[in-house]
Amino acid sequence: MTRICFNYARKEQIKYISHLDMMRLFQRALRRSGLPLAYSEGFSPHPRFNLAAPLPVDVTADDELGEVFFKEEIAPEEFILKLKKQLPEGLEIKRAQAVDKQAPALPSLVSAALYQARLVTVSPQLEVNIEAYRSALERLLDKEEILAPRSSRKGKRKTNVNVRPYINEAYFNGDEHEDQVVLKLLLQTGSRGGVSPVFVLEQLDFELGEKRPSHVNWNLHRIRLYRDCNGSLKPLSEGMCI
Amino acid sequence: MQTQKDILKYLLGQVWKPARYTGNEWNAVKKEHSSVDLRMAFAFPDLYEVGMSNHGLKILYESINRNPGMLMERVFSPATDMEELLRKYNLPLFSLESHKPLKEFDIIGFSLQYELSYTNVLNMLDLADIPLRTEDRKGDHPLIVGGGPCAFNPEPLAPFFDLFVLGEAEECLPAILTGYMDLKRHGYERNEIIARLSTFEGVYVPSLYNPAYSGEEFIGMERKDDRAPEMIRKVTVENLDTAPFPKAPPVPYLQTIHDRAVIELFRGCGRGCRFCQAGYIFKPVRRRSRDKLQQTAKEIIDNTGYEELSLVSLSSTDYPHLEELINNLDSDLSARKVKCSLPSLRLDSYSIKLADKLHQGRKSSLTFAPEAATERLRKVIKKNITEEEIFTSLGDAIDAGWQGFKLYFMIGLPAEHDEDVVEIVNLCRRLREYFKGRAKRKISINVSVATFVPKSHTPFQWEPQLSMDEVNRRQDILRTGFKKLRGVDFSWHDARASFLEAVFARGDRKLAPALEHAWQMGCRFDGWSEYFDFSLWQRAFQKTAVRGEDYAYRRFSYDQCLPWDHLSCGVDKNMLIAEHQKSLAGEKPEGVTHDPDLL
Repeated sequence: MTRICFNYARKEQIKYISHLDMMRLFQRALRRSGLPLAYSEGFSPHPRFNLAAPLPVDVTADDELGEVFFKEEIAPEEFILKLKKQLPEGLEIKRAQAVDKQAPALPSLVSAALYQARLVTVSPQLEVNIEAYRSALERLLDKEEILAPRSSRKGKRKTNVNVRPYINEAYFNGDEHEDQVVLKLLLQTGSRGGVSPVFVLEQLDFELGEKRPSHVNWNLHRIRLYRDCNGSLKPLSEGMCI
Repeated sequence: MQTQKDILKYLLGQVWKPARYTGNEWNAVKKEHSSVDLRMAFAFPDLYEVGMSNHGLKILYESINRNPGMLMERVFSPATDMEELLRKYNLPLFSLESHKPLKEFDIIGFSLQYELSYTNVLNMLDLADIPLRTEDRKGDHPLIVGGGPCAFNPEPLAPFFDLFVLGEAEECLPAILTGYMDLKRHGYERNEIIARLSTFEGVYVPSLYNPAYSGEEFIGMERKDDRAPEMIRKVTVENLDTAPFPKAPPVPYLQTIHDRAVIELFRGCGRGCRFCQAGYIFKPVRRRSRDKLQQTAKEIIDNTGYEELSLVSLSSTDYPHLEELINNLDSDLSARKVKCSLPSLRLDSYSIKLADKLHQGRKSSLTFAPEAATERLRKVIKKNITEEEIFTSLGDAIDAGWQGFKLYFMIGLPAEHDEDVVEIVNLCRRLREYFKGRAKRKISINVSVATFVPKSHTPFQWEPQLSMDEVNRRQDILRTGFKKLRGVDFSWHDARASFLEAVFARGDRKLAPALEHAWQMGCRFDGWSEYFDFSLWQRAFQKTAVRGEDYAYRRFSYDQCLPWDHLSCGVDKNMLIAEHQKSLAGEKPEGVTHDPDLL
């Protein structure tokens, strides 16, 4: 048995698919690769495979992680070589390493994610009022409570959850790109609760109200995932998370 | 200045399920447009998730793309949110592979699977900025071609298509495309090219035929050009083992309706159910050899990585030695945990045994189509199963651990009485009572009742559809009956949608203006209940002075000329008449059992 943890990037070409689509994509690529996958027990066996954290539709990413179990010894180099051949354009395996089989499952380690949101436009003469954005963000962050709808596990009961505590950091760094609005978001994510960057941007647009320009879109990118290390955040991919 | 690419990128961020439009799937074929002589777009007039489940698409994609000099790309109906944005930003409909406008292709081939997708065909042409009518298209416009089951009565679509291909196109299509290229190269003008293409086997060029009427009565087609054949005969693949087979179909990112690998066991069906158009237009039965199936199954899994392999055909359990085939497939694929599945089951013990073999784990429900609830009516439609067989098979299934059934019935069948309708409820009640206590848990029964649509090229082509009022009344009988029957979930089809389907299934060219009008008023995705708007259709019929009732409710006589009589699926009209008479005489058709020699 081998457990391999790997690093990958998701580019523009395949950013439009959901987490479940990504799971299927990887599992089918692994089946094509001919690598000796380990399967779960039971009547409907699934490859023992995990992605660290779901990526929302329409979000690119540089430094994502996944893990997979094999029933035989597999060298990380062989894993990379064989899987690479089976991945579509826009999905890149970067590094891989064998990890302790007993270590906790990858998704349980994730505690935060850093995103970059860039405002893009299709209108040729668009003037974005960055000050309007700054003050909208300020108003949003000043709130003690930002309610997000959640449905219970069975999807029957709808409740509202205050997600304001999950927004760790949010700031514009406008100076480096004068004509662009770039927002950085550090958000809590994972099993202890979290908030989607898409929801935060919706709330920001809502705060802008009439000042929100038309024909604009947020281009979202996940820079990296973090784990919690005695109260401070460490990049999940550092030392391959174990 | 913003390029189309930037606009598209922006639009993709605004729509639901953007991966419907991006392509780039594993095995998608990307060729340089300038590197080939001929570029064809396969257009499917429904959503990506529906179209990508169509086996015909995969076959033709292989048949064309394996030629170095040709390419085929895909395009599907944009959902309404995408349509709105395409129109707003004036972006033409584009293909998935190269994202090039459809207008830049040489040929666009529409897959015509279902009458209620016709408004989507017109919508796609319009979104591609291509004139709807063949007479308005000029030399550089793509050739608009139609194929699939509805091409066997394409008359309502006649003014919009340059030609139709009747039958199975995987072998003849490359030859037609080569012929088209040659004619173009010789510098012939558009109409001459299309006229010359009419001499190809299976090709129907509707503009070369004029429907003749005596008063209101259609009396046959007049040819405008001597080269066009009097009777257009469908093309048939003779040997499935040597025909193109999709070994590496594109693997969708999105979950599609049928998201699995497919091998086609045989084509055609030996059962001969009288309501079933597929059974007649795909005659004769031809099967793939077991060796070929086993070899291709392995290749498909190698190439796609699918976790499930579906063994499809019109009646898969009729494949001889199916059990042996499944055993062999299992031993080839079990290391990769690939499951085999059958799309539909017959109500016989053999099928249940197979289903049990294929299915491990939680046995939720099995699907069957008794079609009619009384033995008498089943004999009329030649669905030869006895009540005893139904009880025995379902009993076997319960003993094997299945916890529920989905049962498909039809109402409005010829020679149907109220007793037959009531009997649908009674049969379900008897099933529940009979099986009480036999299963560990309560068994669930889902009953879905469709309305019969008489289709061309079947023994029932002369029969009228039951009127909407009468359909509603019979559905009421069912609703009342099932209300009293607990534990049975009952669903039915909208009578109005079935009516519209019948109008177009039996229609002629006079319907074309109504279709165009309905599309102009906003009809789209008519087969989807959330989009279907019957009032728009009523207005369209009224505006164009067409009475839908005259089409759906009409009983043809044997000596009358039918709108599709010039199109042959190879079945003699006298044979259909004989079958029709036999059905109504209540005569017992020849016994059909599970017999390997049947094929």
